[in-house]
Amino acid sequence: MDRFLRGLARFTDGYLKVLPLLGKAVPDRPNAPLVLEVARRTRVAPDVVALRLVGDGPLPAWQPGCHLDLHLPSGLRRQYSLCGDPADRDGYRIAVRRVGAGSAEVHDLPTGTRITVRGPRNAFPFVAGGPVLFVAGGIGITAILPMVQASRRDGLDWRLVYVGRARAMPFLDELPDDRVEVRTGRSADLLRDAHPEGAVYCCGPPSMLDAVRRDFASARLHFERFSPPPVVDGRPFSLELRRSGVVLPVPADRSALDVLKDLRPDVPYSCRQGFCGTCEVGGVRVCVQRPTGDRLVLEDL
Amino acid sequence: MEPDNLVLQPRDVHFDWTALPMHWVPEEPVTTHVMNVLHLLLPAGERWFVRTFRQAVPLITDDDLREDVLGFIGQEATHAEAHGGVLDHLLAKGLDPRPFTDRVEWVFDRVLGDRPGLTAGQQREQLVERIAIVAAVEHFTAYLGDWMLNATAFDRAGADPTMLDLLRWHAAEEVEHRSVAFDLMRHLDRRYTRRARAMLLSAPPLLHLWVQGARFLMAADPDAGRLALRDFRRAGRRGLLPTGYDLTRAFLRYFHRGYHPKQEGSTSQAVAYLATSPAARDAH
Ligand SMILES: [Fe+2]
Ligand SMILES: [Fe+2]
Repeated sequence: MDRFLRGLARFTDGYLKVLPLLGKAVPDRPNAPLVLEVARRTRVAPDVVALRLVGDGPLPAWQPGCHLDLHLPSGLRRQYSLCGDPADRDGYRIAVRRVGAGSAEVHDLPTGTRITVRGPRNAFPFVAGGPVLFVAGGIGITAILPMVQASRRDGLDWRLVYVGRARAMPFLDELPDDRVEVRTGRSADLLRDAHPEGAVYCCGPPSMLDAVRRDFASARLHFERFSPPPVVDGRPFSLELRRSGVVLPVPADRSALDVLKDLRPDVPYSCRQGFCGTCEVGGVRVCVQRPTGDRLVLEDL
Repeated sequence: MEPDNLVLQPRDVHFDWTALPMHWVPEEPVTTHVMNVLHLLLPAGERWFVRTFRQAVPLITDDDLREDVLGFIGQEATHAEAHGGVLDHLLAKGLDPRPFTDRVEWVFDRVLGDRPGLTAGQQREQLVERIAIVAAVEHFTAYLGDWMLNATAFDRAGADPTMLDLLRWHAAEEVEHRSVAFDLMRHLDRRYTRRARAMLLSAPPLLHLWVQGARFLMAADPDAGRLALRDFRRAGRRGLLPTGYDLTRAFLRYFHRGYHPKQEGSTSQAVAYLATSPAARDAH
């Protein structure tokens, strides 16, 4: 060890002793949670409702690709893309297709309901400067719509392929006729109009993303990436926390981490795919590890 | 419109070093080895970031910040892993980095690691101080990340494309997450003195380790010659290294009262690079 580093170690030994004498840390004031009111409900397709959410004053700024985390009265949390105009700071718009418990609850929220939200956060940032192809599948149009409007405003060379199951697709009235190709039913060759040097922004069901990922060669591909891959072929098992003497049931479609997080909101994790190692407990990566038997034991928790 | 409030996600990148030449900037041993110091410092340094931030998670009372910190931890953990891969390659090529990396490990363990015998109050103070040191170092990684994303001189000089992708993928993620450590520090202690003190404490050891690391690599590489200040200046003029002037200015910017990491670098540029990076694309 050189003299400098040795000196640094000695300095630090003393420094840590006097550190508390240099004044106490002053934590920042906590941010108040954002509470919004449902100001308007509009049916924009047979199974899709758009909500306008307003606050008590101007709302936090957002950019295309942002989503909002809704904390529903039932306790469910759901994320929805912001699909309004970023310049409108008085209200946010989200659009929700009725598919499950969370979306059904959103559909039934009466105007005037106040809900806590988190965000906006951006898991799908839009940064195109050159030619751009948008591919939207079903309700995925909500994430794409503000990008289309930004491209129109900035005079970009853009195209949209919008795939849906039936003709009554939401927001067709907000899209110009030229540059937009509406397709119904199954769809092949989605990237036919992609510019070789251009970017592709895709938001839709996993099958569509997979198809686009297979096809894309030279394009710059962007897609939403905030959800962890679903657990496939999982079997239920029990998770034993040896030190705390707790045993938790893990259903087939959830990970040990999902269950652990409910009990201990502070558990560190990050990639949720098993490669980053953040969630490791005594050598077990709880985000992906499933036991060969029916019990996963964590000695250190 | 610059995107903000990004959801940070680590990327499962892999690099193949089998074809990497020793001097991956052709005929530029000085540039090569000054940049190679990154591989010596980052695995140990970023693992220490991860240990520090994991300890900080329970102290966070803001849900958005907690999410940012978790994303930061995953990204730094993959950075450490990726740079560690280059060390394995150097060892296989006959350049044993361990005499120096052992020293770096010692710094992050003995000087900056957990300490026995501290009271709970001292322990918490030490943790906040460590977070402030991470924030200071992250100011440099954001500066260097932005510099690297714009350093077209490497392309002109014919630098190895895989190494450039590693450096720019890392650079882009540094720019992506450049506010996290600063925001965490401010969340736990918003005093200016904490910020300024941590920078004053961090910069000299960082410079020292960098110079020693470059000297070590040049000495260990029989084809490299000796490190001279003149070569460093020449590489700076060619745009292959940041200049001393620019580094000093970046250092001083951190002391502005209104400083925020958002002012360094461009999120759009980082996001655009990640969409074209071969390693980041394969990670999808
Ligand atoms: Fe990093
Ligand atoms: Fe970083």
